[in-house]
Amino acid sequence: MPAMTPSSGWRMIPMDMNMPMLPGLEGAVPSVGAFLPGVGIDLGTIPLARPSAIVKLQRGDTLDLSVSMVRRSIDGTEMLMFGYNGQYPGPLLDAVEGSTVVVRVRNEIQMPTTIHWHGVRLKNQFDGVPGLTQAPIEPGEDFIYEVKVPDAGMFWYHPHVREDVQQDLGLYGNLLVRSPDPEYFGPVHREEILVVDDLLMDGEGLLPWGKESSTHALMGRFGNVMLVNGQTDHQMKTKIGEVIRFYITNVANSRTFNITFGDNRIKLVASDIGRYEREQWTPSVVIAPGERYVVDVQFDKPGETVIANTIQAINHFRGEFYPHVDTLSRVMVSSQINEEDLSDSFELLRENQEMISEIENLERHFNEAPDYELETLVRVKNVPTPIVISMESDTLYVPPMEWNDAMPMMNWLSTGKEVTWILKDKTSGLENGDIHWEFERGDIVKIRIFNSPDSFHPMNHPIHLHGQRFLVLKRDDIKNQNLVWKDTAILPVGSTMDLLVEMSNPGEWMFHCHIAEHLHAGMSFNFTVREY
Amino acid sequence: MYTVYRAAILGMSFSLALTTSPVTLYGGEDEGMCVEAGVPYYSFQLITTKNILGTGRGRGSVEVTFSDNSPFGISVTSDGSYDYDLKLSLNRIKLRGEGRLVAWVTTRDLSKIRRIGPLDPYYQVNGSVDWNKFLVVVTLESNDGGNSDKWEGPVVFRGMSRSGMMHTMVGHGLLQEENCFAYGYDG
Repeated sequence: MPAMTPSSGWRMIPMDMNMPMLPGLEGAVPSVGAFLPGVGIDLGTIPLARPSAIVKLQRGDTLDLSVSMVRRSIDGTEMLMFGYNGQYPGPLLDAVEGSTVVVRVRNEIQMPTTIHWHGVRLKNQFDGVPGLTQAPIEPGEDFIYEVKVPDAGMFWYHPHVREDVQQDLGLYGNLLVRSPDPEYFGPVHREEILVVDDLLMDGEGLLPWGKESSTHALMGRFGNVMLVNGQTDHQMKTKIGEVIRFYITNVANSRTFNITFGDNRIKLVASDIGRYEREQWTPSVVIAPGERYVVDVQFDKPGETVIANTIQAINHFRGEFYPHVDTLSRVMVSSQINEEDLSDSFELLRENQEMISEIENLERHFNEAPDYELETLVRVKNVPTPIVISMESDTLYVPPMEWNDAMPMMNWLSTGKEVTWILKDKTSGLENGDIHWEFERGDIVKIRIFNSPDSFHPMNHPIHLHGQRFLVLKRDDIKNQNLVWKDTAILPVGSTMDLLVEMSNPGEWMFHCHIAEHLHAGMSFNFTVREY
Repeated sequence: MYTVYRAAILGMSFSLALTTSPVTLYGGEDEGMCVEAGVPYYSFQLITTKNILGTGRGRGSVEVTFSDNSPFGISVTSDGSYDYDLKLSLNRIKLRGEGRLVAWVTTRDLSKIRRIGPLDPYYQVNGSVDWNKFLVVVTLESNDGGNSDKWEGPVVFRGMSRSGMMHTMVGHGLLQEENCFAYGYDG
């Protein structure tokens, strides 16, 4: 018989034995209340979640989408989580480029929610940002989204109310928008979806989230349990020589993955909003929260191989990097040879002339001075003293990326009350919500963003723009050789990136860091694109 | 200058620790902590050994950037190590006599060594490295002996990646002052 959901008090977070607790922090808990959904509810009354189903959508179709509590079993522990239409992830919506579908959302959880259609250049009133484009959908209420999909690509949908909680609890799903061109991509034997995520759990289940404000405000909430498509034991079967196209989406709150496919070669073909100028080989796929990548992989050796998150983690206590591998999926490659040999087409790196032409039309803007310059900073106050001492003693080197939570207790104790992450307009000096940029539809705008290492605890940021698409022209003054339309891009510590944004979609839009806890610690502002 | 500042900061932190009251810090105010802004943040200096005539007043630097062929905004290898491009340059050099300067990268325990190559007439050379912590060494090699896998001549300049500054709390303790000079930093 399923247990009752656990009480909502704080429990000590799981700690790596290599990173002992700092003296002075014994018994410390975050300065905010603890929150778990559905405390005291008999789990037996909650329906068991089902794996994601594919929903093929034709032009003008209407989809009913519920936001509800579900029962999940993860690593043997039954827990109350959230789901779209009772599924994990939410249903895979399979639509055709240029079509419009209607999604009727009903909120059946005990929190307000919305749905943000990440990367889709849709009408502003359907962007799902509470207080900006719509009122939150209160429990028991409905909202109708009209989702027009002008671009081919792999998109995703998730809440924009307390994403740190709701998204982590399972509210995410993909929206695959297909080009009508049958040769948009090269041939493959089949397609697979990989939605990568992590959850923070202990023996009792999910660790509580902050009630009034996010915990883990410094580094974001890293999980200790890896999920692919909501599963901890994801597996696949394939045949030798088979070429599989993987659509990868990172829905984690904070973790950036470095995904490898064993010794098999990886061909990168597309990202957030369409194809690269040129397909290219890559040793791994680095994917930050909110980003998507499309890769083709040929499995050319029989036996078991693993899809893994392969990183050099940091042990601050020992002051060293160490190799760390999380198995994400096990792939059994049978020695049976696939009837259709796609080796030749797999070897071919295609050029996408349509994309190259699009880029050529924008080249006159590449060398213009930035229209706006932003700097990222963090400001902290009332942090427990042992944390300050510890961090002060380790400020000589800050890694470009935080691949793991190397300071779990310090991170847990930092909440939105103590930490403010900042996007600062270098020209006006304004910060976060005080910034408001105005553009006209059709403007091509260059934005330079610098991730300053000169603050208390700098960190990488996946920068996300709503409603528009952009190119990453340069990083650290080095020209990007292979462009692709993006809506989210990594900004490592100490780095500067130049974005060329096509302001094509009128409305009021958000600009923010996609680490959920950084967003809730202030790291966002709005901009307006007006019709002329 | 740096060590004095650092000692002051740590001393202040220690005093605050004794009071157990929380501390308020504001972003961007802790300059002087060997922190530089922008691309230079991961760059580092090369320090002369003063062993070779004409190099005693020399200065050097290594600019460190992510490899420009990465489509992801950050370049890492399949084992997760950073993949960096290096631009090495020396100045204030008046090398006399035989030999040529050759640059190398090595792990900190010298267990792995890779040759970057000879410096050009402007005392510059570009290379790459895919180790997270590394040393750059410039040696004086004989005119015809600079093609080996390991240096044979004397070390003329050396420097350490900024990642080498990541402290261990095991060996030093939280409050021990760190001596930047010992690592070749004079900032």
